[in-house]
Amino acid sequence: MQHVFASNDGPIEVALVKDGEAYTLEGHSVTKHSHGRLRLLLRNGRTCLAHVAKVDDTWWVHLNGRTFRWERVEPGSSSASDEGGLVAPMPGKVLEVHVNEGDVVEAGEPLMVLEAMKMEHRIVASEAGKVTAVHFGVGEQVAQGATLLEIEEAS
Amino acid sequence: METIEGRVGGLEIKVLVANRGEIACRILRACKEAGHPTVAICAPNDDGSLFTELADEVVLLSGDSIAETYLNQQQILAAASKTGATAVHPGFGFLSERADFATAVSEAGLVWIGPSASAIEKMGDKMTARQTMRAAGVPVIPGEEVDGDGEGALATLRQAAERVGYPLLLKASSGGGGKGMRAVHEPGEFDQAAAGARREAIAAFGDGRIYIERLLSGSKHVEIQVLADQHGRTIHLGERECSVQRRHQKVFEEAPGPTMTPELREAMGQAAVAAAQAVDYVGAGTVEFLLAPSGEFFFLEMNTRIQVEHPVTELVTGVDIVREQLRIAAGEPMSCGPLMIRGHAIEVRLYAEDAANGFLPSIGPLAVFRPPEGPGIRLDTGVREGDEVTPNYDPMLAKLIVWAPSRGEALEKMRRALDEFVVLGTTTNIEFLRDLCDAVPVVDGSTTTTTIDDLWPSGWNPPHDLMLEEAALLAAASAETMGLHRRNATGDSSGTAQGPPSPFTTLQRRYP
Repeated sequence: MQHVFASNDGPIEVALVKDGEAYTLEGHSVTKHSHGRLRLLLRNGRTCLAHVAKVDDTWWVHLNGRTFRWERVEPGSSSASDEGGLVAPMPGKVLEVHVNEGDVVEAGEPLMVLEAMKMEHRIVASEAGKVTAVHFGVGEQVAQGATLLEIEEAS
Repeated sequence: METIEGRVGGLEIKVLVANRGEIACRILRACKEAGHPTVAICAPNDDGSLFTELADEVVLLSGDSIAETYLNQQQILAAASKTGATAVHPGFGFLSERADFATAVSEAGLVWIGPSASAIEKMGDKMTARQTMRAAGVPVIPGEEVDGDGEGALATLRQAAERVGYPLLLKASSGGGGKGMRAVHEPGEFDQAAAGARREAIAAFGDGRIYIERLLSGSKHVEIQVLADQHGRTIHLGERECSVQRRHQKVFEEAPGPTMTPELREAMGQAAVAAAQAVDYVGAGTVEFLLAPSGEFFFLEMNTRIQVEHPVTELVTGVDIVREQLRIAAGEPMSCGPLMIRGHAIEVRLYAEDAANGFLPSIGPLAVFRPPEGPGIRLDTGVREGDEVTPNYDPMLAKLIVWAPSRGEALEKMRRALDEFVVLGTTTNIEFLRDLCDAVPVVDGSTTTTTIDDLWPSGWNPPHDLMLEEAALLAAASAETMGLHRRNATGDSSGTAQGPPSPFTTLQRRYP
């Protein structure tokens, strides 16, 4: 019962231990409850109900007023890393493009302005570097997660 | 002779609701309660939404964009004509503050559930509104109106900005909801801010005229609800404080104001009534003020429609504002007695947005949508479990409103309600709202329009809790192992195979 989940610090391997009806991890234990929920006994002795739902590869977990997301990594899959790529944080339309291929940009410099949900959102360079590609022009629609531009970090 | 209670002498009206989502639900339900037949209009990408199920009839509009659907006056009037609707309720947003639409509705022989086109016009153009209020003796924020919206206007604006002084606010004359608005703290920021405000104003309202107001920092946003009927009565229903805003969008609203005194309420109430009377106002409206630390208050603008945060006033005054709108539009006198404020109400706006990531709008399925319940809790929403949150419309999912005898108890109830609120599949601002309920200015009632920026100058992040994160990881891994994602429609992981057979399946077998 090994599962791998993605995190900001790399993949986390979770090895569940079955203990009768329960599964345990790091001193917490969990059993199945009605209506697709789980009953958790936390290692501090408190109990709580967790609501869970899986959307695509991600498990959404609500417990104690908090909502957590854990993306499950299927065995054998490698997560695509788009190094230096700047992706659209939401679907929308390109309003302005401030840079051209080959431009050298400073960290914090505005690169593009997107419009979504009737508001403007500025895409800024997180690092100083050189623009190696601009994938969209003014007026074009972009999907969430689309790579907008690529920047080669200044060494 | 029989008369239906609450409609003595009033018109029989069949109401077309020219809106969608949460506010359409609110209005359709009020019409149902009042016995008025209803018509909903619906864009193709809204087909199957909750509000369409609350109407007696639904007209499916054609077109993909908002301009082709909910802003399309011709199509909406055709829907009214086709269904025999006799009145139009515009809700908020969309066409609610468009004088030309109010005129078109009236000219089509229909009842417009709102103020006259001339009142909308006088208040809708924010520059004209400032001038009208000055003339009526209502104090306005120091600032300057600038004529014209050509490229040359930028230079004129820059000069006016020097006279008004920094920091200042640029506002679109046709603006609202924070669109076309920019705060400018120093002259160096002016050109970029003015260009942005102008562009946003042209995109949102088709009008790039901008005016300037002094930025009064440390102020509270306090607004007065007014009601006026066609029998010459204009009243106010007390205040709402809506200081807690992010990018000029309100997120936390309450009534009464935590620092309000009966004397100040009376003074602001009278100013609001004078503002309404100055434009011969009819229906429900809101006069917004800035309340400076000095105790002085200044007219901001009047919203000539029902407002998002109207429920907090309803809960503390006992007045059903939408029901009064219907009454007033049908020509009846309003039914409210003398103003009586009881207890405390708080509303928070649930947005589909990622508060930990710059409040970017989020989309996704509402795989689980389980609102809190219990005494003193009201939920106004246009969505339910299983719906999809799309980028097509405003990201507001719901308004959670609580009432309790005191402000302290209302905050306690809100904390409990937010902890109980489960939304899975789409990222929401629930945890941010919950954190807000513990913030010192919110707890002690000293909120101002800059509270959110002051509390979280470099953005908000959820509190880090390693123990809960691990517990959630255990839950996710166990849920995967248990196969909880293979759920059937009843939410039971293993279907009906377990446990005793349902009596209904037995019945079905007996009567095939």
